[in-house]
Amino acid sequence: MNEHISSAYDRDLEEIQTLVIKMGGLVEVAILNAGEALAKRDVALAESVRAGDKDIDALEMQINEEAARTIALRAPVSKDLRSVLTTLRIAASLERIGDYAKNIAKRTTTLVDIPPINGTDTALKRMSREVQVMLKDVLDSYLRRDAVLAEDVRQRDQEVDQMYNALFREFLTFMMEDPRNITACMHLHFMAKNVERMGDLVTNMAEQVIYLSTGEMPDEARPKDDQTAFVSTPE
Amino acid sequence: MEDHYRMDRTMSTAQDTKISARNVQVHYADNHAIKDVNVEIGDKTVTAFIGPSGCGKSTFLRCLNRMNDTIDICRVGGDILIDGEDIYDPKVDPVQLRAKVGMVFQKPNPFPKSIYDNVAYGPKIHGLAANKAELDQIVERALRRGAIWDEVKDRLHAPGTGLSGGQQQRLCIARAVATEPEVLLMDEPCSALDPIATAQVEELIDELRQNYAVVIVTHSMQQAARVSQKTAFFHLGNLVEYDDTDQIFTNPKDPRTESYISGRIG
Repeated sequence: MNEHISSAYDRDLEEIQTLVIKMGGLVEVAILNAGEALAKRDVALAESVRAGDKDIDALEMQINEEAARTIALRAPVSKDLRSVLTTLRIAASLERIGDYAKNIAKRTTTLVDIPPINGTDTALKRMSREVQVMLKDVLDSYLRRDAVLAEDVRQRDQEVDQMYNALFREFLTFMMEDPRNITACMHLHFMAKNVERMGDLVTNMAEQVIYLSTGEMPDEARPKDDQTAFVSTPE
Repeated sequence: MEDHYRMDRTMSTAQDTKISARNVQVHYADNHAIKDVNVEIGDKTVTAFIGPSGCGKSTFLRCLNRMNDTIDICRVGGDILIDGEDIYDPKVDPVQLRAKVGMVFQKPNPFPKSIYDNVAYGPKIHGLAANKAELDQIVERALRRGAIWDEVKDRLHAPGTGLSGGQQQRLCIARAVATEPEVLLMDEPCSALDPIATAQVEELIDELRQNYAVVIVTHSMQQAARVSQKTAFFHLGNLVEYDDTDQIFTNPKDPRTESYISGRIG
């Protein structure tokens, strides 16, 4: 894309983009640390994730303000308009992902006093690691306006859904085996659901990147593999 | 006879088209100003022509009521049909054509006469009124359509040049609609007006759309976006892109359009 005749306009758009990337970086770290804190039962790390959410929220505010200012002063059209609009939506998704990471960290603080449930911590950590890689790729696709990479991320969400399905069934089994597992399993299940929702939000971001670079939202339905809504009895 | 029949049928399939331009070429001496432009302009629609200075948008607009006839070195080729009739046919009287295709210019140019006479002039020379009472009616209706009646009804015999710039421009629009045209051409009608007067003229353009096909040339992209339903982007004498206005401003297909509307170095 050529530069604007007004170079200050280019600087405004770049500044907003830089803020999004910075915010994305903080959210990636929050996801990784939330998973790590759970696996290692590291309360200090969990607390740092909770505290760090304030910075993420502040960045979202800043992005909203900069975007509103750009719309008011520059009246962007076409690609520039899409760039500002998608930035707002991407920032909103990042903020929600940050909240989910914070919630995982909060539950980790509660879980430290309860013995771990056979291997599920590691499974959760692996799942959050998967979402973090998707997030990294979607941020790259945003920077490069790369609809192909964004579509790839969008397709990968079904892997996260499958991991969530498997965990859901495991939690049910553990709870049926021994009612003393219920407290831990309930917390762990909410954490898994949080990670699954993060994956959905990353998928939304990928759709925004596709809209940004092509001007159209992807229309074909993406594969959804979260089947837990239909589970009644564990097999 | 048979030819006429076929022509009627073609026209009825395109009943929403008011102006149809086919392979239009304009030369100013050796300068090829309009290169093979094809466009269908809809009735009861505001169509905006945008593009950088010298792109040919005003030249093309002036072809639509044969204003270019007055320039000796200007040659127009191709066909321009209004309601299926070739306006460059030797049988067409350019004066009658210009009554049907009204024009409003960049700078308000009221005649040095009263407000009343400014509007009454066209209907008088075209014999549209049988008596004074009818003429009064025509003048009032035109001034109302020009959204200026309430401001001037008490001083119809004051000079038109004494009005403010925005009022003068609306007076010129009233003058243009007084002859009951079917098409209104506007060449940068707001470039000499302040934002309030601009908003009033834009509001008026939107109302005029109910009765006329309006074609507006504008340098303000925001104005094109605000008032038009269709936008045509001209560049170096070519019609680069012609589409629904919201399509042009959200997702144009041609990179030259994209660069122009988003203020980039082409």
